[in-house]
Amino acid sequence: MATATVLRTESPDRWRYLNNILNRKGPYTDEAFTPGDEPKAFLTDAKILVIGAGGLGCEILKNLALSGFKDIHVIDMDTIDISNLNRQFLFREADVGKSKAEVAAAFVMKRVRGVNITPFNCAIQDKDDDYYRQFKIVVCGLDSVEARRWMNATLVNLVDDETLIPLIDGGTEGFKGQSRVILPTISSCYECSLDMHTPRAAVPLCTLASIPRQPAHCIEWASVIQWPKEKGDLKLDTDDPEHISWLYTKALGRAEEFNIPGVTYSMTQGVVKNIIPAIASTNAIVAASCCNEALKIATTAAPYLDNYMMYTGNEGIYTYTFTHEKKDDCPVCGNLPQNLEVNPEWTLKELMERLQERPETTLRKPSLRTSSKTLYLQAPKQLEEQTRPNLEKKLKELIEAGDELSISDPGMPFNLRLIISFSG
Amino acid sequence: MSALGAPTAKEKKYDRQLRLWGAGGQQALEHAHILLINATAAGTETLKNLTTGIGRFTIIDDTVVKDEDLGANFFLDDGSIGLSKAQKACELLRELNPDVEGDFINDNITNFITSSPDRLKEFTVVIATGNIPLSSILSLDRILYPRGIPFFILKCVGFAIACRLALSEHTIVETHPESIADLRLFSPFPELVALCEEKAANMDDKERTSSHEHGHIPYVLVLLQALKDWRSTHDGNNPSNYREKAEFKSFLRGKMWSPDDENFEEAIAAVLPHFNSPTVPSATKTIFEDSRCKNLTADSANFWVIARAIKDFTYEKNDGLLPLPGALPDMKAESKDYIRLQNVYKSKARADLAVVVDLVRSLLSGLGKDQESISESEVETFCKHASYAKLITGRSLRSEYEDDPKAKTISNELADPTSLIHYYLALRAYETFISEQSNGEHIPPGFEDSSIQRDSSKMEQHINALLDKLAVTPTSTEATSKAVGEIVRAGGGELHNISSLAGGVVAQEVIKVITKQYISMNNTVILDGISSRSQVYEL
Repeated sequence: MATATVLRTESPDRWRYLNNILNRKGPYTDEAFTPGDEPKAFLTDAKILVIGAGGLGCEILKNLALSGFKDIHVIDMDTIDISNLNRQFLFREADVGKSKAEVAAAFVMKRVRGVNITPFNCAIQDKDDDYYRQFKIVVCGLDSVEARRWMNATLVNLVDDETLIPLIDGGTEGFKGQSRVILPTISSCYECSLDMHTPRAAVPLCTLASIPRQPAHCIEWASVIQWPKEKGDLKLDTDDPEHISWLYTKALGRAEEFNIPGVTYSMTQGVVKNIIPAIASTNAIVAASCCNEALKIATTAAPYLDNYMMYTGNEGIYTYTFTHEKKDDCPVCGNLPQNLEVNPEWTLKELMERLQERPETTLRKPSLRTSSKTLYLQAPKQLEEQTRPNLEKKLKELIEAGDELSISDPGMPFNLRLIISFSG
Repeated sequence: MSALGAPTAKEKKYDRQLRLWGAGGQQALEHAHILLINATAAGTETLKNLTTGIGRFTIIDDTVVKDEDLGANFFLDDGSIGLSKAQKACELLRELNPDVEGDFINDNITNFITSSPDRLKEFTVVIATGNIPLSSILSLDRILYPRGIPFFILKCVGFAIACRLALSEHTIVETHPESIADLRLFSPFPELVALCEEKAANMDDKERTSSHEHGHIPYVLVLLQALKDWRSTHDGNNPSNYREKAEFKSFLRGKMWSPDDENFEEAIAAVLPHFNSPTVPSATKTIFEDSRCKNLTADSANFWVIARAIKDFTYEKNDGLLPLPGALPDMKAESKDYIRLQNVYKSKARADLAVVVDLVRSLLSGLGKDQESISESEVETFCKHASYAKLITGRSLRSEYEDDPKAKTISNELADPTSLIHYYLALRAYETFISEQSNGEHIPPGFEDSSIQRDSSKMEQHINALLDKLAVTPTSTEATSKAVGEIVRAGGGELHNISSLAGGVVAQEVIKVITKQYISMNNTVILDGISSRSQVYEL
């Protein structure tokens, strides 16, 4: 096998330790494992994709390179910020402003001889199915729920007789993190567990507008209500210190008016950027766990995670490893529609607002259809205008109990199917 | 000119971690000097995670970089081969953060213990990795443990990790619980009772309370008023057991005027978490009952002086109640009512704090110390966390290996084939294996293909000898053999992912012990990269 020789000719001893587990069968290794060239050839030939080149992504790239993978792609649309430097260890001060994917790829290639890393400074949505189909494994190190949902749904949609790409996903918050293995359509997918990752409950608009009690309420008032009111069309840039200062001043004024203590610049930044505190050590734990699973899946040298591991370091050390169950009515990997009880007196607009509030759907600009008619379309303009009058109609005028509602949304690369029943 | 209120460059750089452990934690890290014994992959990965904030590190290692090191260790490169491993790792790690100092010692730890034992006492934390003979590990323990220097012993072989922390005593005030709110619903102080009387006495009266007002009474006052009503029909008793609490929830539901009364929903949700008799938690009692709390001396740490003041406050001045933390969760309410309620809690907390501060001052002068040697803010932090403070009493390696081994813990675990204690035993055997080589070499088991079988049976003999010494009967021997099989399979090699995972785990623990925040592990964690699980044992 020509490909496997690369590992051996590179230097006789370099991969000695890794080769020990590839050349030797362990007590827990699957019967089908053939030690030697076969697992090595897989590592050499298999293309593996890394999503994200931030705190987790830097670790993942290093880990995969030192796991013997040779053909790695990485996608990240971000550029390097000064607050990244201390835990995104592949970046230096001189790199601020450059593409994360490009700098990270160049660094790891320079350090680990023989690995080839192809960086893409773009959004994951810029790549098509043919691009994603070439990979044997995808490892995600993201902090965005939306990007993960997109990647997950894309890999589920790619499943056919020849394609099944495992998705390994990691996430962290403070001293806690999790890693998981998703075999699209076979085991629980990201969407199946979305209720475990929902963002914090949104503060009702009326609290922000009239009865603030917390410093965060004042900050959200400044960004959600005052910014558009006073700045018009100017887009809020949460990376612009002038913009943050403006919000901070406004929030401080409001807090003084209501005698609310505790508004700070740092808190303002935290609230408007939705900053999740991240530290290098937790990133290391989660990324290493993800890459360990990637290595086990690629080589079958040991059984892999089925399918979820949580790590908690706040109180001693605690891990919880379990099988997250697949949901039959998962809108991405299940084949059953979900049930939804609605009030027949609601208008279509009210239904849409309530769907947008549901943490398990998190829609932005939904379009709605039943099997027989179109209820509302966001685009194109002409159809939007045509269907707009439906927004004010009551549901009982538009649909019947038992109808299947199909919802599409730009933030969701699949259609949500809901069977409607009427309450009362 | 910088934008208003904008952070300094340093605050920007450390923004994400400052949100976790604050300026105080960061300062403790910046004063720390870490010693890493052996520049293994696990060791350099640990330092990589710590160069995000510690002041200084030192690496001691006397080996030169070999080709196989590069397959596991990211902080060595092609140009390092044949050169000092300590030096090369130090150079590449220093690149990570110009604010961190790093140096190296080209020596092996066994010599260093003999030649410079005093230098060991300079370090904040010592981390031992790689193949170190047991006798040297125990020597380090004898030097570090009595001085209270945290000593981590990390073993990474194949898919297995064992990490042991030997630390005699560790006290933590800022344990970072989910919430420190203590609403005192069962023992309201007079100002709270008065506010309830003013704001909630008429909450059931539709003549005197508008529905808007009814829907905006802060749930704390709703609960206090409803408890008052409940006690009047229950012989003056609060709901105490689960059944009564469930009844109380229905009672509250009956007081709702509209299904939109969110404040009543919040009140119902608060019944189970907040209806507790105000007792001193057992972890806090452990601190109060410790002899160091009872018998203060001029050398007592601030922790013990403040703990003693809080204890005296609680039992001699406050009817067994700890000082009030003063925090109040958010709740549906008009702004001014919420702020008023918040101020009632805060004022009471400040009043309690003032009494505790006075007690601290008089304890200090009784000890012949400067009354100002403990700051008010340190006392305040302790008062806020009095219910969550923690004392961890550790065990030395000498206890684990020689004087007082935990035979019972091991024997209880041994019967379970899924227990990770089997890896503990296999790694103990590994340690004996590399320690017993007469020529001073540390050739690991399974290093050569040809030696696998011979080394495996030697490892099993070491385990049997250990169990024999502990008077433990081997059970689940198949699981133990499998653990041995995995360790020997690796041939002493580190897998990068496993070392990196270990480096993350140890770095978290080092940060916790240095900042004295969050709760550190006690005292051994075993992680298995095959089943992706971990277990913690007190050994």
